[in-house]
Amino acid sequence: MIKVSNLSKRFLDQTVLDDISFDVSKGEIVVILGESGVGKSVLLKHLIGLITPDSGSVYIDNIDITKLSEKRLLKVRKNIGYLFQEGALYDFMNVFENLAFPLVEHTSLDNETIKNKISSILKMVDLEGIEKKYPSELSGGMKKRVGLARAIILDSKILFCDEPTSGLDPIRSRDISDLIRSIVKRLDCACVITSHDIKNSFRIADRLILIKNGKIAAIGSKESIESSDNKFVQEFIS
Amino acid sequence: MRQPESPIVEFISKIGRALCFLGEILGNIASGRIRFKEVVRESYEQGLQSVIIIILTSFASGAVLALQGYVVLSRLGAKEYIAQLVALSLLREMSPVFTAIIFSAKAGARIAAELGAMNVNDQILATRTLGVDPMEYLVTPKFIACFLVLPILTIISEVVGIFGGYFIGVYEANIPGFSYMSHTINSIRYVDFLSGFAKVFFFSVLIGWICCYQGFFTRGGSSGVGKFTTRAVAFSIIFVILSNALLTKIILTIWQ
Repeated sequence: MIKVSNLSKRFLDQTVLDDISFDVSKGEIVVILGESGVGKSVLLKHLIGLITPDSGSVYIDNIDITKLSEKRLLKVRKNIGYLFQEGALYDFMNVFENLAFPLVEHTSLDNETIKNKISSILKMVDLEGIEKKYPSELSGGMKKRVGLARAIILDSKILFCDEPTSGLDPIRSRDISDLIRSIVKRLDCACVITSHDIKNSFRIADRLILIKNGKIAAIGSKESIESSDNKFVQEFIS
Repeated sequence: MRQPESPIVEFISKIGRALCFLGEILGNIASGRIRFKEVVRESYEQGLQSVIIIILTSFASGAVLALQGYVVLSRLGAKEYIAQLVALSLLREMSPVFTAIIFSAKAGARIAAELGAMNVNDQILATRTLGVDPMEYLVTPKFIACFLVLPILTIISEVVGIFGGYFIGVYEANIPGFSYMSHTINSIRYVDFLSGFAKVFFFSVLIGWICCYQGFFTRGGSSGVGKFTTRAVAFSIIFVILSNALLTKIILTIWQ
């Protein structure tokens, strides 16, 4: 479903991504781990075409999105949900309007259906009855949940989550991680998450990728990462 | 290793980027990618935000023009020309320029700050990830609203300014009200109105372009929003005043 092939990116004299290759299948959760500033978010932005690589390709359903124009990318992105670190909700819209936005833009659903869909998706993220609240009235965890609801409201085939647990307490981190896992399994979509939250990443990931100095230091299942004899891997996960 | 660009190259690339930005907005308009609901909302907010301050300053400007005119023209025994002085000054120069400056400071600042805050909070990126073009959804409506609202505010400014002059002319200079109004109406030729009004459309493009551009490319968190908003307002005002000198020369060459 997603295939990343020999992806490289430099910013001035700094190599951020160096020959990165991996793939993600339908229904699979891949977590990209690494220290802060290692380029995890940059990698995720490549996967949705927000950044163009210096070399390499990103295939989504066998289409190399690095070669697409912005107009064609906008069409591709209709099938992709993206959860930002802070939710990135429109602060001039209330929760209902934020969630209705993708539906109004990309579907021809009537008002009643939109209302029902929003109610059910808010129930799914355990935030019933907050339709009229504005983002400024929500806590960090609630903003992420609404952001997640907006990301999947079009029944996305792919979900990208950028640091979904950053800034949250351990209980909220666990909740949102479990929520992401249950949504991915329910929608049967491919999911890529960036994180430096080792504990929750190991709980929800099907596979993990560890990045160091722009390169993949380790890739594999939880068990293979845990049993890796790579010194950096052991140091990072311990 | 790639070296940082020289200041000249950087300046030229910034100019190029700003021109491409304007080109993209005009391309959206030309190809009919206009979101009317957003244009109406933006026009309402931009107009509502500026109209009170425009009314107050225009009334005061008209009154000050009449007061100064009364002092100078009385020395020449020509105080009945106050009405002409006020009307022609307002229509040809003062209202278009003052309204554009106030509009830059109020609506322009709002545009830059709103887009800037959206950018630093990833809301513009989020728009792209939701499969929606932010230039079409967020920028073009703001630009069109500038083009619609500024001319209306200028007409309001001209009418209110004339009433400011009327107030001084009638109650300070003791010119009969009917006489003041008839002098005003008889002194205005279509060229006086149009020579001032033509500039307003140019100013609206300048303000919309500069403020949307600065807001859209804001970076540096909340302090960046303040910095880029201030820059947007300063650039708008400077370019309005500078372009006014050029436009006045061109217009006077065409229409004496």
